[in-house]
Amino acid sequence: MGTHGLAYDGCNFFRQRLVLSTLSGKRVKIKNIRSKDDDPGLRDFEASFIRLLDKVTNGSRIEINQTGTVLFYQPGLLSGGPVEHDCNTQRSIGYYLEALLMLAPFMKTPLRATLKGVTNDPLDPTVDLLKSTALPLMKTFGIDGEGFDLKVVKRGMAPGGGGEVVFTCPVRRTIRPVQLTDPGKIKRIRGVAYSVRVSPQMANRLVESTRSILNKFIPDIYIYTDHMKGANSGKSPGFGLTLVAETLNGSFLSAEMSSTPQGQGGPILPEDLGRNCAKMLLEEVYRGGCVDSSNQSLALLLMTLGQQDVSKVLLGPLSPYTIEFLRHIKDFFQTMFKIEVQKPSEDERKGGDKVLMTCVGVGYSNINKTIK
Amino acid sequence: MEMKEQKRHQQKHSGPKVEKKKLKRQGGSAEDDERKRNPKAFAVQSAVRMAKTFHRAQDIKTKKHHIPLVDRTPLEPPPVVIVVVGPPKVGKSTLIRCLIKNFTRQKLGDICGPVTVVSGKKRRLTFMECNNDINTMIDLAKVADLVLMLIDASFGFEMETFEFLNICQVHGFPRIMGVLTHLDSFKNNKTLRKTKKNLKHRFWTEVYQGAKLFYLSGMVYGEYQTQEVKNLGRFISVMKFRPLVWQTSHPYVLVDRMEDLTDPERFRTDPRCDRTVSLYGYLRGTHLKNKGQVHIPGVGDFEVADVNFLPDPCSLPDAQKKRALNEKERLLYAPMAGVGGVVYDKDAVYIDLPASHVKQQQEVRPTTELVQSLIDTHATVDAKMAASEVSLFSGSATLDPADIDEQKEEQAWDPNTQRNRRKVVFAEKEEGSDVSGSSDEDEDDESDDGDQEEDEDEDNLSTFLKEARAKSDTSKKNVREPPQVKKQKLEERKEEIPVFADSEDELEMSEEEGEAGRPGDSGNCSEESDDDEEAEDDNDENSEDEVEAADATVKKQSASEEEEEEEQGKYTVFGFISLQINFCSICIKRLHLYDSSLLMLILKLGYFPRHNHNSAEFILLFLSTGALKWKDGLQQKASEAFLRQQEADPNLRKLVYGPGIKFPDHYTHENGAGEEEELGGLFRVSRPQNSKKVQANAFDCSRFHPDTSHNWDLEEMLNSIRDCFVTGKWEEGQDAATLLKEDEELYGDFEDMETGEVHKGQTGENDDHDDEVEERLVKANDDEVQKKKRMEKKRRLKERFDAEYDDGDATYFDDLKEEMQKQAELNRAEFEDVDDGTRVQYEGFRPGMYVRLEIPSLPCEFVTNFDPHYPIILGGLSSSEGNIGYLQMRLKKHRWHNRILKTRDPLILSLGWRRFQTIPLYHIEDHNGRHRLLKYTPQHMHCGASIWGPVTPQGTGFLAVQSVAGTKANFRIAATGVILDLDKSVTVVKKLKLIGYPSKIFKNTCFVKGMFNTVLEVAKFEGASVRTVSGIRGQIKKALSTPPGAYRATFEDRLLMSDIVFLRSWYPVSVPQLYNPVTSLLLPVGQKDSWAGMRTLGQLKHDLGIRTKPNTDSLYKPVVRAQRRFNPLHIPKELQKALPFKSKPKQQQPKGKMPRDLQRPTVIREPQEKKVAALAAYQTQGVPAAEKKQEEAKLKRHKEARKKLYRVMGQMDQKRQRSSLKGAPQDD
Repeated sequence: MGTHGLAYDGCNFFRQRLVLSTLSGKRVKIKNIRSKDDDPGLRDFEASFIRLLDKVTNGSRIEINQTGTVLFYQPGLLSGGPVEHDCNTQRSIGYYLEALLMLAPFMKTPLRATLKGVTNDPLDPTVDLLKSTALPLMKTFGIDGEGFDLKVVKRGMAPGGGGEVVFTCPVRRTIRPVQLTDPGKIKRIRGVAYSVRVSPQMANRLVESTRSILNKFIPDIYIYTDHMKGANSGKSPGFGLTLVAETLNGSFLSAEMSSTPQGQGGPILPEDLGRNCAKMLLEEVYRGGCVDSSNQSLALLLMTLGQQDVSKVLLGPLSPYTIEFLRHIKDFFQTMFKIEVQKPSEDERKGGDKVLMTCVGVGYSNINKTIK
Repeated sequence: MEMKEQKRHQQKHSGPKVEKKKLKRQGGSAEDDERKRNPKAFAVQSAVRMAKTFHRAQDIKTKKHHIPLVDRTPLEPPPVVIVVVGPPKVGKSTLIRCLIKNFTRQKLGDICGPVTVVSGKKRRLTFMECNNDINTMIDLAKVADLVLMLIDASFGFEMETFEFLNICQVHGFPRIMGVLTHLDSFKNNKTLRKTKKNLKHRFWTEVYQGAKLFYLSGMVYGEYQTQEVKNLGRFISVMKFRPLVWQTSHPYVLVDRMEDLTDPERFRTDPRCDRTVSLYGYLRGTHLKNKGQVHIPGVGDFEVADVNFLPDPCSLPDAQKKRALNEKERLLYAPMAGVGGVVYDKDAVYIDLPASHVKQQQEVRPTTELVQSLIDTHATVDAKMAASEVSLFSGSATLDPADIDEQKEEQAWDPNTQRNRRKVVFAEKEEGSDVSGSSDEDEDDESDDGDQEEDEDEDNLSTFLKEARAKSDTSKKNVREPPQVKKQKLEERKEEIPVFADSEDELEMSEEEGEAGRPGDSGNCSEESDDDEEAEDDNDENSEDEVEAADATVKKQSASEEEEEEEQGKYTVFGFISLQINFCSICIKRLHLYDSSLLMLILKLGYFPRHNHNSAEFILLFLSTGALKWKDGLQQKASEAFLRQQEADPNLRKLVYGPGIKFPDHYTHENGAGEEEELGGLFRVSRPQNSKKVQANAFDCSRFHPDTSHNWDLEEMLNSIRDCFVTGKWEEGQDAATLLKEDEELYGDFEDMETGEVHKGQTGENDDHDDEVEERLVKANDDEVQKKKRMEKKRRLKERFDAEYDDGDATYFDDLKEEMQKQAELNRAEFEDVDDGTRVQYEGFRPGMYVRLEIPSLPCEFVTNFDPHYPIILGGLSSSEGNIGYLQMRLKKHRWHNRILKTRDPLILSLGWRRFQTIPLYHIEDHNGRHRLLKYTPQHMHCGASIWGPVTPQGTGFLAVQSVAGTKANFRIAATGVILDLDKSVTVVKKLKLIGYPSKIFKNTCFVKGMFNTVLEVAKFEGASVRTVSGIRGQIKKALSTPPGAYRATFEDRLLMSDIVFLRSWYPVSVPQLYNPVTSLLLPVGQKDSWAGMRTLGQLKHDLGIRTKPNTDSLYKPVVRAQRRFNPLHIPKELQKALPFKSKPKQQQPKGKMPRDLQRPTVIREPQEKKVAALAAYQTQGVPAAEKKQEEAKLKRHKEARKKLYRVMGQMDQKRQRSSLKGAPQDD
């Protein structure tokens, strides 16, 4: 069977390629991974990601050359089931979870992944953010039900880690098309201010400062303070804030900030962090759309994998990551999106330009699921 | 006798009867009346019964529901595929010929390949004849919409019919219509009727009750009767078809034309080289994506190199308001069939239709001629090289009818120019192309500015275009060579301008136009240069003067460029390059004008790492003014550009997908060469590789860090998102005031109970007034907006109305249906107004299009052994269906197949599009979910089967045959089933009994040897349960040190040394990885039905004459049973003594001879003595039995005698009495 794989250069967008390869069944070869670097080859967190991928699939073939600069990946079938993985602490769990979110609905058996490592760091979307934005987004695509949950069991801040989350997801045979063209107005703002191994007052200070900014817009703000103690608090101290704005039509926009990891960079005041985070939320609201900027690619993927119907989604400006994702979708599924820019009219005060993405699904069906 | 006029009935018009009737008619219905009259009859008798009837009614109602599906049928559907099936000599070809004649008034000689006709205003039909090769039957059953199943009534059903029906059942059931032929062979009318009836009922059981069976009564001059054919045609052309799952989820093409595009040179040097072939046909099923994978049943899997759509060769008539088709619209399209004595040959088809309706031929000609010419040249390579024109074409992308058609205007192109243009514009190859084109540009670029000035003038775009066209036209007349260049240029410009215009739609247009060979690009290098060219033509001499004027424009231009480039900044690099080139060419141009001593300076400038265009501009400035003016305001410019970028509407499509629609290179053909490209032989393109490399290995994070964070401390920034919150301003249609008003309109008046105030709803007049006002407003305002608003309002009102009245009893089913309906509408509407070229990029080629697929590297046998009688199907595969893995399926041996199937015997499966040979393992699921291997399929039961084969979605049906070669008398379909699961590993196990023997026995513990070989093996099985053949259960305890492999086990009872201990275990079996596609289409013509794959073990043994020697132990022998002897029971003396007397063994041995001394002499009694003894016995023991008997007998005798006596006496008495009554009493 002569399926030619795809070839890429460099380790950027590493997860996208492997995830899409797994879903489409096309092999992929990634070359020149940091080949010119002083420390060439795959990093530990990438190796860890590959190992996770190996755990959730059956029959994958992974070949890495000696220096780690070339990776060949022939995907197997997604098996799912209970999976336990120690995520490398170089990246937070969000890095791994983002990929799992894309794969989980297409497993053979419902996935129950226990991921251990860094739950919150300033680089990647944290588990709190994914919980409050990605999960409701997936629900609109028909992925919901009993076992759809993301639970933060232990919180572990960078760099030490020691956190643990449990992600469970039911399997679906098909994904339904969506029309998310109207985000609606923001009706409430929720958030989580978390602190571990620092004074519990930190969280309260975060909340105070955040409200000071957001109260100008809407009174319905509630920010939970989450102070974890003892065994649940991980190995490093830190605090942070995740804000989510929910609209009338059920779309979620989010922003988050974490304190700088211990031993990296200067300390940050919770007041500053709260204010900055609130401003980031405003920035996100300014960008707007039905999907927040860190979940754009997830939404686009689920649209692509939908049935052979037209799906539409309104996004804020496309992030570079999303743009590359679109290119990859084109490579793996030959699907192109119709991209229309919607400019706000003069008198509207609804933030910046929006992008209306339209595509026809490829009619993907979960070939892993067993029928009886 | 005269007829008596009968009195007419006179209807009553008054009276009680009339009243009654009237009441009945208008008053309550009869039913109501009855209910009133006889309420008991309608009373609920039994609640249970009522519940039952209700349930039943609901059940019936819900059973009628099908899962609603989104209607994805295209507006202009592809022709309906009608497959004509039947055993040989039943009249298939005749029927097709008659039908074609019926629809098109044309006669076809040999029916080979699909024949497409226009049957009506909305329908086209493709006829395909199916021969009796099982391969063909399988393939055609998968693509058929309608099956005409011909049955020879004089013979009855034949195996082929049932085989085909079975194939259909497995691969989704298309519509099937039976056609009975040879009905004229029945002489007797009654037998005819009977046969018809029998056949019909048998047919019904196979298809469905009431399936249509058509009768063709007889032949007239070798054709079926016109009227009957006409009726059949009508049936066909109004028939509705059900969507089949496989077909609606996969694109497929029934190929009706094939062309070999292989380079004749390659073909000449190596006649067996792989061929490049283009295949044509209507796309059916679903959308086909370009560059996908297809499977050709009978050949294999192939990557499609290119797909494009062509004008419909057999198009439906334009919408007209008449009922029938006119002669011109009755089209016939059958490239593979010889129409009108015309040839079908390998590379081209010429259908010579007599009438004017040969529309399809025009676009075919040019290509075929070209190809023909290529093939026909039997000249040497040198000669061919000499004829450079031809080889040039073959080197370039193949021209197909579509291209030619689309580029009708472009046909005038000079090949030379064409090459220039195409290469320049490709985004990726830009550098390279520029290299080739650079020399031209060098001369031209000078006048850059003049043209851009025009370009930039967006408002006067159209006028400008007109002018330009006119100009080019005139120049065409004047100049010999340039005109061609110019014309092309103009088209270029037409495409290019929108880039500056920055509007989406136009861009799309430009993309589309460019698609053929040279998609528009981001760096405007080529266009500019071309425009320059033209400009130069126009004003060659005064370019020097022009520079001054150009300054301003260039400034603007560069700004816009910069803007655009900034957008793409990180992602695209070509911008730089193009601009760099642009700049270089400008430099060179300038060199002519200015002192060459400036060269070094310019070059230095030219290699600014960034902002090349800026530098270009600076140079221009510099050159024009001779001073370093460019330096001032640099920062300001940069910041301006940056801001502009922030607010500019980025051309996202270009940004995301790149200028041309390019695909990533497969790593099979990596681009190793072409890295080092030269620019005009003088300069080297400095590709900013480093930046790209850095990007390739950049940090992989999905976060979108706000690189341009707004200052959220400013009030205006805060205000800019005010309306995103519920506290902000609402849209006009949604704010509270409007909603309230609407409520009022809907529900009208109400009375406020507290205040007693009465609110009146708006009256009609008011409405009218409102309308008027609105109308005036409409005139004042934008029409569109108002219309939209009204529509919106209407929709909302309707929704509310529906909610009020309709949706009361709306079920889930209704909701679902409505949802699907909405989705279908959206699907239709979304890309409706987009032109086809762009549309196919978004949604793929849609079904109904006539497409051409180019497939490289087909085996040469496909072309050399091509037989149009065999269907070629291109079955599209979805992304993962090209892979291979283990499939688990449920299988059942067909009840008509007369042998059961054996595990590991190769079997040919038809699954999805594919036919392949594989080795199945049969298994059955135990109660605990274990898949136990079976040696044979069960006789009348489902079993599981595991194979190594192509990944196919679950739920897909398959059928199995043991061989596809030849026709056999018995039923060929061996098994049918369905795919259950796909995996990369198998879970089938077989039972394995490990046997050991006791070596030592201590009570219930036993040492067992011979089951394992090492201690390690035993360790693995510690705790496993074992059993003896006699049924004693036990457990493995621990390994013994010697002998290796022996272990200690405990049992529930003491073992004997003769016992055999066994351990039952399960051993995973591996499925043999055989996937052997049936390549029947590659076989020579005439032998296509003789494909033979791997033979079964039995066949091999039979063919090689090998007989297995059976194990002698397994042979049956006569049972010989030895006589059993039992030893006497021996009880020890001690025991005997201890036993109670009762249980003591008695002296059971027979008494020996009495010793003499114990023997007593016999006493012989005298008669007297005998009597005495008897008496004594009598006295002691009572009367002996014999005497008792005698006594009884004696008594009985006496009784009898007495009876007799009395009877006689009684008789005498009677006699006496009678006589006394009669006569005189003599005595007494």
